[in-house]
Amino acid sequence: MSRLDLKLLRDLRALKSQALAVALVMACGLAMMIMARSLILSLETARDTYYRECRFAQVFANLKRAPNAVTDQLAAIPGVGAVETSIAISVTLDLPDMEAPAMGQINSLPEQGELQLNRLHLRRGRLIRGPDARGEVLVSEAFAEAHHLQPGDSLAAVLNGRKQSFRIAGTVLAPQYVFEAMPGVALPDHRSFGVIWMPYRELANALNLYGAFNQVDLTLAPGASESGVISAINNLLALYGIRTAYGRQNHASDSRLRDELRTLQVLAIGFPVVFLSVAAFMVGAVMNRQITLQRDQIAILKAFGFSNGRIGRHYLKFALVIVVLGTATGTAGGIVLGHRLVEMYHLFFRFPDLPFLLDTRAVLLAGAASAAAALIGVWGSVRTAMRLAPAQAMRPEPPASFRPSPLERTALGPHLPATLRICLRNLSRRPWRAVFTCLALALATGILIVPNTLSDGISYVLNFQWDILQRNTVIVALAEPAAPRALHDLGNLPGVTLAEPYRSSQVEFTSGSHRRLINVIGFRPESTLNRLLDAQGHLLTLPPHGLVVSAKLAEVLGVRPGEKVLLHFREGTCQEVAVPIALLSEDFAGVVAYLDLDELNRLIGEGDRISGAHLVVSGGQWREFLRTLKDLPAARGVVIKDAMRDSFRDTTAQTIGLLRTIYLIFATVVAFSIVYNSARIALSERQRELATLRVLGFTRREVAGILVGELALLTVAALPLGLLLGTGFAAGLIYNLTTEYIRLPLIITASNLAYAVLVVALASLVSGAFSCRHLNRLDLVGALKAAE
Amino acid sequence: MTDLPLQPSEQPAREPVFQVRGLAKVYGAGEAAVTALAGVDLDFQPGELIVLLGASGSGKSTLLNILGGLDLPTEGSVRYQGWDLGGAGEADLTRYRRDCVGFVFQFYNLIPSLTARENVALITELASAPMPPEEALGHVGLAARLDHFPAQLSGGEQQRVAIARAIAKRPQVLLCDEPTGALDVRTGITVLEAIGRLNRELGTLTVIITHNATIAAMADRVFTLSDGRITGRQTNARRAPVADLAW
Repeated sequence: MSRLDLKLLRDLRALKSQALAVALVMACGLAMMIMARSLILSLETARDTYYRECRFAQVFANLKRAPNAVTDQLAAIPGVGAVETSIAISVTLDLPDMEAPAMGQINSLPEQGELQLNRLHLRRGRLIRGPDARGEVLVSEAFAEAHHLQPGDSLAAVLNGRKQSFRIAGTVLAPQYVFEAMPGVALPDHRSFGVIWMPYRELANALNLYGAFNQVDLTLAPGASESGVISAINNLLALYGIRTAYGRQNHASDSRLRDELRTLQVLAIGFPVVFLSVAAFMVGAVMNRQITLQRDQIAILKAFGFSNGRIGRHYLKFALVIVVLGTATGTAGGIVLGHRLVEMYHLFFRFPDLPFLLDTRAVLLAGAASAAAALIGVWGSVRTAMRLAPAQAMRPEPPASFRPSPLERTALGPHLPATLRICLRNLSRRPWRAVFTCLALALATGILIVPNTLSDGISYVLNFQWDILQRNTVIVALAEPAAPRALHDLGNLPGVTLAEPYRSSQVEFTSGSHRRLINVIGFRPESTLNRLLDAQGHLLTLPPHGLVVSAKLAEVLGVRPGEKVLLHFREGTCQEVAVPIALLSEDFAGVVAYLDLDELNRLIGEGDRISGAHLVVSGGQWREFLRTLKDLPAARGVVIKDAMRDSFRDTTAQTIGLLRTIYLIFATVVAFSIVYNSARIALSERQRELATLRVLGFTRREVAGILVGELALLTVAALPLGLLLGTGFAAGLIYNLTTEYIRLPLIITASNLAYAVLVVALASLVSGAFSCRHLNRLDLVGALKAAE
Repeated sequence: MTDLPLQPSEQPAREPVFQVRGLAKVYGAGEAAVTALAGVDLDFQPGELIVLLGASGSGKSTLLNILGGLDLPTEGSVRYQGWDLGGAGEADLTRYRRDCVGFVFQFYNLIPSLTARENVALITELASAPMPPEEALGHVGLAARLDHFPAQLSGGEQQRVAIARAIAKRPQVLLCDEPTGALDVRTGITVLEAIGRLNRELGTLTVIITHNATIAAMADRVFTLSDGRITGRQTNARRAPVADLAW
């Protein structure tokens, strides 16, 4: 080791806490980057392997009923690879550990051979083989875990009005249910919803569908056009009551996974850019101070013949050590966070195997990015050291020039105490340092706002959707649209005090070049359980004619109230009719349209029919109601509002809780580090000034006040800026998360802001107090003797 | 906190401001021990101008630091108006420096971010009955440079601001540590004239430490230190006018 490197080591030892502070800030950004890039690698690898091994389909369609012979016609469509037809049906399930019925999606297993597409991955037990197997089912792993179901246990399902019991042969995973949730629901609730597979013959016989199918999954031949194939499927299956055909782009599970990957991409870029900028500033400030303090040493080294390049490299090595430390800590942090996130993903995504894969390219990139940031930060100072003429460097730096700060030139000026003037002038003498410190503290404040904004937004949506718009206790969906007397039957269930009917139908909306398959819901204008509000929160009355659509749907279709959209019904007379948009409603989930119940029935042309009912059930007879509901033959699905809300809250709390912890750690690291580093630099720069004040009779506390006064001013300035910045971050993230199907409002609560302010103020205060310990080491006598 | 005498002594005249007996200061221990002061006895009277003369390492700065409440003796006693400085705690010493002592340093030690007036005001804000900063700066001939920052003042002007800062709180003691050490002769004489005049006009006990023997002529009494001991005591029959000094 050269003597110069020995000097470097000793300099580092003297500045270890400051170097560590910079490295930690660097590590925060790198940890997030390495975590996000590694999670992208892990998720994509797990997904691609899973999709390939289990042959995940590329195009999906569901229809009312088509004979099995049509399968060959589907396979003959140009561009189609493999075709799998099956039966898929929604049912209610009776679980022994649950008072309420759960909802299930039953899919058929092929009568002959194995599934060609969307193959199952067995987790426990065994698969069901042979066309004659009876009374056995396979259950999705998440649902089985939520209900502690094992192979050999039983569950009951109401199939075509008849409750049947089945034995569980095994638990499985399937590629179309990586994200397994009720259709149209943003978060999974594995207790309320599960997927089941059973042999074709048994399911088809129970549903009177033997020899027919209602679900199509297919792959595309290489180079085939997805839209062309979808169009051909629509044409071919029009006769058989096709409801919808779509590609992976619109597949609920796959698109949810893509949303997650998109969010990770944003994190992988946004976090390191912001944190490395702060670290670059910090390492620049530390190095600048170090070189100022070592002017005479640089002069001596130069006088003894050390080249400018060697001296430059010596100081660059200092920054490099911080980079190595930051990258190592960041990599370790990224791995730890990544493992925690992978565990959390188990709540949402189910893969046969989701190991955490460290993206080594990301680690190399992190090293390079932090080295670049450090180089940018220290370049100015190192260049100064290299350019310093030895004779000039031997002399102390000329005294600093000051002038009154802008605030002092106002009417307030004469009333400011001298200590405040010192703070203000020091800040205005180095405005960029002040700006960066302020921005870093604002950043710490800002990132704290993000997780709480998400949880407040979700909470708002849950309350809005389920307390303001939907005021029922339970929604019961019928297996098939039924005559209005079904409402009477539902109204007579035990404990039901109010029952209001609804009709829903999948309708293709066309407006110009825009085309969407939309769930149209019809209810009575006088309904009190189903309400619509406009953007201002005013109650809307459903008009007798014309559509009420969510503002998002109007935006998607590019229509305004008064304009007409073409509706193509897939039920009844399957007519095409132009219907005007009457009003716009405000909601946060899905793209839905509403019609007067009678008007919807008239347009479908099947006569008076209802799809189900919204019910209010009195608490006293709740258990009896649930017991009856489990055996209700007509029910195909049940949504119990409070259970679903509790499950959503639980899932949200777990995810947001982790996010909040991560952001809290990052914000504390940044606030603490920046205040500590700034205070240490200020102490080093102004040691003589502060010692003078002590000699002149200032108490330690008064001197500490002057030392951290500037930082207190910057913190006070940073807090409101941080609140703005945080609101911007949250708005950006929400914008990024918003899709056609989920919209989060930007809800910034006072408690959220207070939390962010409190954490940063506290971290700054503790850090300031920690830095002030060094005031005890001020050498009063020494500082008076030697001019710096 | 002990009873620190904040007002000038009301005891009979010629009662010493400082009474030093058997004062010793040793830095370090064992073989590395360095004796900075050994067996120093002296009394300083109110209104006197004292010069402590000595070469580098003679112990004069250590003595000044102990008198100024910046350091504590290892042995012996130091009394300020009867109050034991040697037994004082840190808070008492801070209060002592704040209320009783004015310091003038070799390198001025002005706060660079404050103007001349503000540097003085910074200290007068702490004092109970200070003179206005403008008056203090007037005493040292800087009435026209009130709003200049240290970087805009010459070395001599900066030192005079430091003197104004020291006397503005009307201290009972003015301690000057090599006040001309960083100045050329002409500027040094201007600074010494200010110190001498203020001593006469305000009656503040003034102690100047210097290695410059010429300055001794302006003092009432001169103590010479060598190897931590007082090796010479001299009383000047007449204080020489500062303008007559030359080195």
